[in-house]
Amino acid sequence: MSLLCNKKGLLFVAFACRILAASAQQDSTANAPEEDYSIYDQVEFVDEKAKRYCSPKIFNQSPQRFISLQYDGQLGYDMRFSQVGSYQENDKVPVAESATAVFTGGLRMSANIPVISKNSLVWQLGANFWQTGYRMKDQVSRIGAAGLIKELDRTGLRTAGLNTTLFKPLNEYSFLLFQGSADLSGNYTLQNMQSLRYLRYSGAVIWGRRPNDRKQWGIGVSRTYRVGEMNYIPVVLFNYTAPNRKWGTEILFPARAHFRRTFNPRNLLLAGYELEGQSYRINKLSDTERSLEIRRGELRARVEFQRQITGFIWLSAQIGWRYNWSFNADMLANDGREFFRGFTGNQSYAMLNTLGNPLFFNIGVHLVSP
Amino acid sequence: MNMKSFWLVCSLLATMLTSAIAQDNGDQLIGLWEPSNGKARVKIEKIGSKYYGKIVWLREPNDPQTQQPKVDKNNPDESMRSVPLKGYRMLKDFVFKSGEWTDGTIYDPESGSTYSCVITVKDENTLDIRGYVGVKALGRTDVWKRVKLK
Repeated sequence: MSLLCNKKGLLFVAFACRILAASAQQDSTANAPEEDYSIYDQVEFVDEKAKRYCSPKIFNQSPQRFISLQYDGQLGYDMRFSQVGSYQENDKVPVAESATAVFTGGLRMSANIPVISKNSLVWQLGANFWQTGYRMKDQVSRIGAAGLIKELDRTGLRTAGLNTTLFKPLNEYSFLLFQGSADLSGNYTLQNMQSLRYLRYSGAVIWGRRPNDRKQWGIGVSRTYRVGEMNYIPVVLFNYTAPNRKWGTEILFPARAHFRRTFNPRNLLLAGYELEGQSYRINKLSDTERSLEIRRGELRARVEFQRQITGFIWLSAQIGWRYNWSFNADMLANDGREFFRGFTGNQSYAMLNTLGNPLFFNIGVHLVSP
Repeated sequence: MNMKSFWLVCSLLATMLTSAIAQDNGDQLIGLWEPSNGKARVKIEKIGSKYYGKIVWLREPNDPQTQQPKVDKNNPDESMRSVPLKGYRMLKDFVFKSGEWTDGTIYDPESGSTYSCVITVKDENTLDIRGYVGVKALGRTDVWKRVKLK
């Protein structure tokens, strides 16, 4: 009997403990009991060598994307291309071929995976693939035309690349940012692949300051194909969030500049522009000695709405106006060597091409970073 | 005591000893910690067999808009948006297993997002706190340093 009582007693204690443990677990989701938090005002590191580092982000910045899948489309516009020749930028040249691009667009996929991601160093590796298809109508081709419109209609353009980003905080307020990418751009297909010697390299290095959680600025230099041709330009970074957290800026000038309106951390609107560009090798117009490359650069004035769908899945929707910065072509040596024209160079173009400036849209789904 | 009982007692003692050592190692997490950005201090405690971390200090304790103590205004659960951030349990339900604290979550009050999280110890005064999305590769590690009251 006594044993039974003891067993019952033990069972009761075990049951009570279980209930207490369960209630402790339930309590874990609530706020902790109030205590005097003022005792935590004055502390010191136990490890005297401990160092604070600045974060790569500021408050309310749009989320960084790990994986993106987007569909980009441009509405109709006219194209007018010259013959292949030798022209200065402002030459008046006759139109050799023309068409209306009824639709221009395709899938854009990108991934940026953190290799090292800690407070003293963030290193990411990424890959991207962009497909641009063309649907033409009213094609007109005169004698001597290169047949570029027909070729674009047939094959479209593609860019595949690898990139890397390194964020190195120097201390609580200063940082260095390195970006580099190698892109293979052209009208290649899997069956007719382009040689890796036509890889085009771009990069940037920025030194910056992050004086507080709402501001980050920096200056640096970049080698870029953002306007189609390779160029070396200074860059300015300025990310800012207002004290009321309702608006801010996300600027990496001149590549992109956006005003940000934050409705809440899961809904935001960006308004501004981005420069996009690459140098696309056209296989059919190249031979064993020469490589014809379209220097495609465009300015996209746009409004983008970003919204969290669920968890870490975000949706983005852009509409805007695509302004043709350049669609001219250069004739390069076939060994893949690039040349620098910059803002003052007078090297001649192989083609002078003009495009109309249509509206565009872009919708995407993204897996974003913590 | 025959040999069978002797081995039974030995294995029982060994299990208890291993469990005690594991518990001691797990309790390394207990204490006051500061994330790398220095914006907060988090006190990690053990409740039952699990570890929890609550915010006990904020560099910016008041909301710049309201000038009132910050609350969890970005929480997707509307009923939680008036809960003060001081005292908020941002680390929850960590279990010490195989030398690391797993199965827990970390909450980011800035975005109102909760991430899966694993905590590892670099040395007795340094923690690697890795928040991730789905798989550990898709995440970010923050290094937290142990602090003590002056």
